Amino acid sequence: MTEFAAAAMASGAQLRLRQLTKAFGAAKAVDQISLDVPAGAFVSLLGPSGSGKTTTLNLIAGFLTPDSGDILLDERSIADVPPHKRNIGMVFQSYSLFPHMTVADNVGFPLRMRTQLSRQDARRRIDEMLALVQLGHLGTRYPRQLSGGQQQRVAMARALVSHPRLLLMDEPLGALDKKLREQMQVEIKRIHRSVGTTVIYVTHDQTEALTMSDVVVVMHQARVSQVGSPRVLYEAPANLFVADFLGDSNLLNATVAQICGDEFAVKIGSGETIRVARGTSAATQGGRAVLLIRPEDISVTTTAERAESQDVLAGTIRDISYHGDTFRLDVAVGTDVLKVKVARERGAGMERGDRVFLTWRSGVVRLLPAPDGMNDADNGDKR
Amino acid sequence: MSVTARSVGLSTAVLAVLIYLIFPVIVVVATSFSSGNFLVFPPPGFSLRWYESIASDPEWVSALWVTLKVGSLSALIAVLLGVPAAFALVRHVIPAKALLNALILCALVTPPIVTALSTYLFFVPLGLVNTVVGLACAHAVSGMPFVVINTSASLRSADINLERAAVIHGAHPLWAVLRITLPIISPGIVIGGIFAFVHSAHELLVATFVLGGVGKPVAVKIWSGVQATSDPTIAAASAILIGLAIFTFASAAATQSLAKRRTL
Amino acid sequence: MTAVAEPRAAPLLRPTLSLNARLLPALLLLPCLTWIAFFFLAPLILMCWRSLASEGFSLEAYSVLFTSPLFTKVMVTTVKTAAIATVFALLLAYPLAYALTISGSKVRALILVFVLIPYWVDIIVRSFSWLILLGDNGMVNKALMGLGIVSAPLQLLYNPFSVLLAMVQILLPLTTVTLFGGMLRIDRTLVTAAKIHGASEWQAFRTVFFPLSLPGVYGAGLLVFVLALGFYVTPALLGSPRETMIAQTIMVEASQLLDWPQASAAGAVLLIITTSIAAIYNRYFSLDRLWGGSDK
Repeated sequence: MTEFAAAAMASGAQLRLRQLTKAFGAAKAVDQISLDVPAGAFVSLLGPSGSGKTTTLNLIAGFLTPDSGDILLDERSIADVPPHKRNIGMVFQSYSLFPHMTVADNVGFPLRMRTQLSRQDARRRIDEMLALVQLGHLGTRYPRQLSGGQQQRVAMARALVSHPRLLLMDEPLGALDKKLREQMQVEIKRIHRSVGTTVIYVTHDQTEALTMSDVVVVMHQARVSQVGSPRVLYEAPANLFVADFLGDSNLLNATVAQICGDEFAVKIGSGETIRVARGTSAATQGGRAVLLIRPEDISVTTTAERAESQDVLAGTIRDISYHGDTFRLDVAVGTDVLKVKVARERGAGMERGDRVFLTWRSGVVRLLPAPDGMNDADNGDKR
Repeated sequence: MSVTARSVGLSTAVLAVLIYLIFPVIVVVATSFSSGNFLVFPPPGFSLRWYESIASDPEWVSALWVTLKVGSLSALIAVLLGVPAAFALVRHVIPAKALLNALILCALVTPPIVTALSTYLFFVPLGLVNTVVGLACAHAVSGMPFVVINTSASLRSADINLERAAVIHGAHPLWAVLRITLPIISPGIVIGGIFAFVHSAHELLVATFVLGGVGKPVAVKIWSGVQATSDPTIAAASAILIGLAIFTFASAAATQSLAKRRTL
Repeated sequence: MTAVAEPRAAPLLRPTLSLNARLLPALLLLPCLTWIAFFFLAPLILMCWRSLASEGFSLEAYSVLFTSPLFTKVMVTTVKTAAIATVFALLLAYPLAYALTISGSKVRALILVFVLIPYWVDIIVRSFSWLILLGDNGMVNKALMGLGIVSAPLQLLYNPFSVLLAMVQILLPLTTVTLFGGMLRIDRTLVTAAKIHGASEWQAFRTVFFPLSLPGVYGAGLLVFVLALGFYVTPALLGSPRETMIAQTIMVEASQLLDWPQASAAGAVLLIITTSIAAIYNRYFSLDRLWGGSDK
């Protein structure tokens, strides 16, 4: 075990969710969610609003009682433990600092409630925490005198002061502007590395989830769509929803024309055939599937020349837009329109109406299960 | 019609209606300071004699006391029962919430004579007629909707996460409600309580049936006075009631802003 | 960090909500509901029971109600007066509520103070202030005579005019606030959209705002009508015997004639009428919307 892992084990809890379900009236907010979170990991719950991520967080915190299922912290069930006894820290989107207490008193609150520390020891811990979030000089101020970013840091100090083994964060950066948000993301990661506690971080912002997390849990319609590291989720999405939700994607309807071992030859709308690895699709010969290729993985050439292992598609530039560092192209290939990103110098010479050839390295194309009826997220659940 | 003409027309209409609304209040207060013997407006001169006659009349003084006692007791009961009910309605998921809401509010749309008659018939065998406690209990029923409505409004706009932040970091849930949420929603509770108090002070019919004899409250005394005499004593008594209502409201508002200044 | 693996199916645990969580809302509501049941509902039931005669079961009180010319006249007067008062209250409150809707917060606060001040004055006072104003020696008559418009004081009191004048004034604050609440819910960008597409101020109001405000008007009307039905002080003080409303009759039956079954029967009928109307209102508008509550 690495040093870091060992340290994390000491200060972070292992969290397990077992088939957690919660319904409000007839609608299920959380549907049979199961999850294993290793000690000390930074885990994001990522999804659109209504996906169940905040409900899951509230269940872990204990503000909601599950209809069925269990929650285990360090292998002990806490589902019957009331929230004030769970020894968890939490940070809210609206900071929720007590307005009538000073910053130091806010930070010391969990110590007063949970421990019997002497005044001196408590004082020392509070100072430690304020130093950790780099607000050591602001202990005597009141929350209303601080900026948004500072208030959020006080909230983190308060959440961590009693050394909880689990920290919950509910879209903590949602109320901050872009620049501040990016700064705070770095801050939060730094604090996480110092403290080593397990973090569950709820967000709808995929960039946030991808840059900060060790593990991302993508949620959709009350279920887990896919769980994995940011790279796995981005480069090897298991289903349509994840592929579409994270980053830009080209999703083409395709039918399987031929199977050669693990390699499929699929036909897309324009009639062309493309070679792709099996991926997560369970389609057989003649069956439907969805082809995924990311805009940044497509190269644009003016000739049809390419290596033997590469496929090529011919198309016409329908639209071109300038994005500062890149140009984004919409290229019509038969009935499909593919989004392509090209570097600024390359794109500078291109115009609407140009005939171009699209090619890519083998391995960047993926095959996903076709949506059956309405619930395409189900396809990812079993894996 | 041009835009300005329209807004002038609207403003005049609005002003006229406002005068129509306010005028009786001015009439009553002005008449209470009248130096003449009759209820006449505008009054002939200024005099405090009607207030003096009330202050020196033991019946009026005791009536004021009764009103104060009944009003405070009914407001207190309304708050003690209404605040928890508001929490249940706003924070929890309950079956038939709409029905329960309607039940709590229906005291406000029931005709007062019906409430008065039925309460009297109910109180007689219970021995609650002619008691301050009895009237307070009856008034608490119509005071409760004011408390529930205002407390609910405050609760809805309060940030529940403040309470949750306290609880998740170790505070007992009841402690968090009492020390964090209750202070935040206290303006709503206080306003509800005041409305309940004022409602009780003004209420006539239930009071007439339940406490209409010896030891009647001011509203009942004013009513019998209005039908009997025509001197400005009545106006003075009414002005005192108005002053009482305004004073309660103003002091509550002052305490609230003082409290706010401390925490914000 | 390795990706987490989802575990294989585990046995279901914890099938039901803990007892505490389910009981709490009931415990919070219980005192309030018990109080209302005991001090409000039980008396109402008792009153209905007593309307069925003091000895044995008899519907005599009800038959008297529906056949006696006195009662039928009073009921008709009550409904007529309440209806007219409602209409006028709505007519006057509408421009006031509209002004509140379009005003900035300062003007709005000022108007609201004016609208709500009468609330702090009790109904008796508000009614007899009209006595002072409309009497033979009252301000109105003095002004009219002083201006030479009339030579003798007009009989302005003890007629439907004085009763309605006072009733409308008393009902106005609630009507205004209710209408205002409804108007606030109208999406004002719709009016702006109408104006951008060519409607004048008046046309935008007539074709967009007014129709959207109508449900609020009906709701306020229902509510005000219910309250107006139960008026006692105003007709008693400012009306002649011809303007008697049902509340006064019940009062007489109870306190003077001591005819409890009769009074109870009239009370029961009034109760049923007002409850039905309130139920209709609640079905479409929900009572707690009045004071800004949400629909949940």
